[in-house]
Amino acid sequence: MAERSVEKYLGELEGELRDLPRSRRQELLTEISDHIDAALAQTPDHDEAEIRNVLERLGDPADIAQEARQRLGVPRARSGAFEVAAVILLPIGGVVIPVLGWVAGVILLWTSRVWTTREKLAGTLLFPGGLLLPVLLFSGAIGMRVCFGSGVDGRVVSDTCGPGPSALQQTMAIGVLTLLVVVPIAMAIFLGRRAQGRSSAD
Amino acid sequence: MLERGERYGFDLVRELGEVGGMATSEGTIYPMLARLRRDGVVQSTWRESPSGPPRRYYRLSPAGRRALEEFREEWVRFRDGVDRVVHKEGRDG
Repeated sequence: MAERSVEKYLGELEGELRDLPRSRRQELLTEISDHIDAALAQTPDHDEAEIRNVLERLGDPADIAQEARQRLGVPRARSGAFEVAAVILLPIGGVVIPVLGWVAGVILLWTSRVWTTREKLAGTLLFPGGLLLPVLLFSGAIGMRVCFGSGVDGRVVSDTCGPGPSALQQTMAIGVLTLLVVVPIAMAIFLGRRAQGRSSAD
Repeated sequence: MLERGERYGFDLVRELGEVGGMATSEGTIYPMLARLRRDGVVQSTWRESPSGPPRRYYRLSPAGRRALEEFREEWVRFRDGVDRVVHKEGRDG
């Protein structure tokens, strides 16, 4: 419990420091983390109240980051047209311009300084191609469903269809398809929100 | 604070944090120290500690010592100037 608030604090600080060069960010994080350890070493029992005191004396991570940017001459990253383009291109770019549109979105995502590495990784891996894959699968599924439907009606199943998918297979397919649609959209909304929060932070 | 020799970074930060008006919080002192290191005003050395990770110790560099002297002279002039204006205003008003 107690360690968790320290971790949360350092996590917040890391996020706030994202536009600092990596080496500077690491150095500052180590120093602050060592400071917390040293301060806690002076307290009898590392209970939650003592940890809160230590963190409060250290101050708001945003203030530390602001001071660091000022002292080390790093301008604050602001979201602009590139970030907006990235958030739009990641889900639908690959559909409009197959594959390439998504690749452009990924490039914009990684060149931006607004997002942390973790967010960029998530944005890239969930899911590659954005909505391209579900769109392709869906157009395939329509053909399949027409075929399956004619079988249910009791009419003659056309012999090009083969055996229709079982109910379980169908449910699974719908589940996977939904996931493939929802995740890239949710990811885009998440990235957009993070970028927005950061542009209006000061 | 570093004039009389080397100081452990943590103690330095704690002490600076306690002097009112110098820094908004202890955490903001670390970026300041990083800047001073980069400017070559202070030098730092890592030393093993009896418990826990190695500690960073700070000391003034020769350039830092000169800068401190200059700043002191300037500060005294500035303070005297402000004092004269503020006291005069006080008497007049």
